[in-house]
Amino acid sequence: MLFPNIFTKVRIVLLTVLALAASCPWAGAQELTLPLKPHSVRFAAIGDMGTGNKRQYQTAAKMREWREKFPFEFVIMLGDNIYDGHTPQDFVKKFEKPYQPLLEAGVKFYATLGNHDKPNDRFYQPFNMNGQQYYTYKKGHVRFFALDTTYMNPQQLTWLEKELQNAGTDWIICYFHHALYSSAGFHGSATELRTLLEPLFVKYKVQAVFSGHDHVYERVKPQNGVQYFTEGASGALRVGDLKKSNLTAVGYDQDCSFMLVEIAGDELYFQTISRTGQTIDSGMVQRLPAIERIPVRQE
Amino acid sequence: MEYRIPAGAWAALFLVLIAPATLGQVPTPNVSEEEARIFKLFAAQVQRYLKVQKECAASLPALKPNMKMAQISEHQLALGKKLAAARSGVPQGEIFSAEVTEQFRKIILGVFKGPKSQMARKTIRPDEPSKEVLVRLHVNDMRPDSIPSTTMPPTLLSKLPPLPKDLAYRIIGHALALKDTRAGLIVDFIPHAIP
Repeated sequence: MLFPNIFTKVRIVLLTVLALAASCPWAGAQELTLPLKPHSVRFAAIGDMGTGNKRQYQTAAKMREWREKFPFEFVIMLGDNIYDGHTPQDFVKKFEKPYQPLLEAGVKFYATLGNHDKPNDRFYQPFNMNGQQYYTYKKGHVRFFALDTTYMNPQQLTWLEKELQNAGTDWIICYFHHALYSSAGFHGSATELRTLLEPLFVKYKVQAVFSGHDHVYERVKPQNGVQYFTEGASGALRVGDLKKSNLTAVGYDQDCSFMLVEIAGDELYFQTISRTGQTIDSGMVQRLPAIERIPVRQE
Repeated sequence: MEYRIPAGAWAALFLVLIAPATLGQVPTPNVSEEEARIFKLFAAQVQRYLKVQKECAASLPALKPNMKMAQISEHQLALGKKLAAARSGVPQGEIFSAEVTEQFRKIILGVFKGPKSQMARKTIRPDEPSKEVLVRLHVNDMRPDSIPSTTMPPTLLSKLPPLPKDLAYRIIGHALALKDTRAGLIVDFIPHAIP
């Protein structure tokens, strides 16, 4: 007898499906593409996540799962960390619970505030803002700037320029809530902010910028030497909002997502993962040699 | 020989009065003598408010970095209640006096009718307009946390007088409000300021 029983038949069907899946082009989509180089700076990026909904929890669970493959040390939060109510219970439901396994594993979160966040959130210990509306910190050879674009006043711009002048030969990563370039329909590019921030980014050779606000993922083609990412779909989501344009290198608006980033030497590797674990984008950003990045100081 | 105090000197004096040491590097907005005089009046009112705020906060545990959210919420609520009690009966227009309001309206009009007006309008487009409409503005109100902040146009912020820490300008509907961000409290507002 060719098929002795129904269980054997089921097994054969399952094995056939698995074999076909393994041979299809997107079979490797759940594989890590990041190189895991020694001494690299490894982090995740999430934005617009603080809904407390099922999608946020599932995306957070996927982050924990991927951390086994890519042990990132910290997470940058791109704003709208907590939507609606801001009671202590809201912080449990919309932050502490979904990211509990990461927090317990010692992963640090560095927040920037979005328009749904409250200024006093900067005092909340797990956001590591140290009471500052905007701040800078260093990890390895990478200098991070967390800005408050909901309230970009002259004081902040003056501070930013001064700090950028002192960034030396480090990688410079800026992150904040409003995307300077975005092809999404709901908000789109924050053009007024762009007129102020982009000249500084170009002048001081900022290499990569991460933002949220629009509830999609988008990697914009490099603009004036700066690589822009929008990751505003780590909990909130606007399906179909991305109107892919000439700006768009890769975009995704069908599900929630998060980013994994590794910086080693002069290379920044990134991999964007959907809530279901599919890789929706990956690649590498090469920075200019350090010698070309030293800003000309004005006496 | 008659000596006229340059406008920049008034502006510098204004900054010294209003700004804490941390704002020492802030560029001075280019203002006329008349503007500088009015900004000085505004700064004096702001200082009066800060004195009240300081008195109210003195009996509360200090708000420090790296706190639990329960402590932060308690502080905000307690400070808001104390301030509202201490300022009970303060009318709209105490800080934004008629003169200050007129000057601020000119500045706002310059931004929202000027060459970059479209960019500024795009910046303030609310996420959820319905929520803004539902809430009427009153002095000493504590805004519900569920209402997102309107992004402030940086062009406008560059033209308004700088504020000390814990105070911020907010656009709420068509009003320009002065908000105590630590207490979550509306200190004063200019109704129908945004054209």
